[in-house]
Amino acid sequence: MATHADTLHDQHYHPPGLQHQFEDMGQQQESASIGMWMFLVQEIMFFGGLFTVYLVFRSKYPMAFAAGSNHLDAFWGGLNTLVLIVSSLTMALAVRSAQLGKRNAQVIFIVVTMIFGTVFLGVKAIEYTAKYKEGIVPVAGLNMKTAKTASTYPNARELSTRTGDTQDPRESLNTGVSEADTHETGEHSYYNPTGTFVWTDASLATQAEQGGYLTESEKIGYYSNGELNVNKFRDKVRIFFWIYFVMTGLHALHMIIGLGVMAWLLWKAWMGTYSAQYYSPVEMSGLYWHFVDIVWIFLFPLLYLLGRHFLHGGGH
Amino acid sequence: MAEEYKTAGDAEHQHNEPHVIPLSYYFGVFGVLVVGTILTYFVATIDLDGIFPGANTLVALLIAFFKMACVVLIFMHVRWSSRLIWLTAIAGFFWLAIMFAFTMQDYLTRSAGVFTG
Repeated sequence: MATHADTLHDQHYHPPGLQHQFEDMGQQQESASIGMWMFLVQEIMFFGGLFTVYLVFRSKYPMAFAAGSNHLDAFWGGLNTLVLIVSSLTMALAVRSAQLGKRNAQVIFIVVTMIFGTVFLGVKAIEYTAKYKEGIVPVAGLNMKTAKTASTYPNARELSTRTGDTQDPRESLNTGVSEADTHETGEHSYYNPTGTFVWTDASLATQAEQGGYLTESEKIGYYSNGELNVNKFRDKVRIFFWIYFVMTGLHALHMIIGLGVMAWLLWKAWMGTYSAQYYSPVEMSGLYWHFVDIVWIFLFPLLYLLGRHFLHGGGH
Repeated sequence: MAEEYKTAGDAEHQHNEPHVIPLSYYFGVFGVLVVGTILTYFVATIDLDGIFPGANTLVALLIAFFKMACVVLIFMHVRWSSRLIWLTAIAGFFWLAIMFAFTMQDYLTRSAGVFTG
């Protein structure tokens, strides 16, 4: 239908939700969309800086990244990808319901979106807890501190068998726990008295060394005195886990903010604020939610899956 | 209310009607995203380095870009948005590409010894 802004103004009529500086709802909607997209562009640059860091360090130390990545749980990562996809669908349907003026469907879809967003964060919490218990949080002191406690995590078994030759002697001094104590604890011990970053598995680097595809910058990064040094390799794996925690952490922060936005949106939708004439806030919140989903679409393969194909080479 | 959707060209003429997109589009994108995720996982377990080094990452990124395109065009309604929105969205990725390209043309052309981390 052809409504003319001029005649509307003559009658001093304003559709509900139309701010006075706009000609009509279409212009208002367009302005909101452009503003939101400008925000998303700066969000792209925000995450883009971290993707650049990832690019630089992965190109320098591909094997350390592959080793770190293989230690992430692709099941949880994949599950979370699917969870986010479902939440994106329900968000899109919430916007559609708002466009059609269906208040109840809108409320239901927003609630379902929030539930899946919460499930995502729950899975993330499970993953972070596992990293804490395995001693691969890159910040010294933020891992589970234990001298003799048994752990059922798979990495712990690997660690205990090599504790003797790779443990930094200073750590024993700090706590007064002698080397003998660690050997007494048996096979399933997780020895990490200072809660530092623990990594002893350099098998992928060995595999690359034997296969002859270790790059020059990797040799400089991993070697000391012409030989592969597990502690130097560990420090490069630690870079991967820094990037993992910062990127997924920033993403999780966006999810938390998104849930806050959804809670506000739920309240407004419950009050029946949105109609086919005025639904901009629903649409803009949707744009944000989909953007966060897109970031995860890239994080999943780049963080969880980058080294999976090396496992078929018989390195383990 | 007709389920009509607009191209960028006639967006100016029909400003007041929300463009409601048929449900089939939404479920279609959902299907693509689920299949893409499963495909990403299984391709990652196959060693493609025999083709050329980094082939696994390239395939993973191609799938991710396709998934992103579906979300941006359908879920985020860019397909039915004005040219200005198209321009803004593309500009974001263009600037990102500049950042990647300028950073890597520096790091990749340094000798290995200069930057040892």
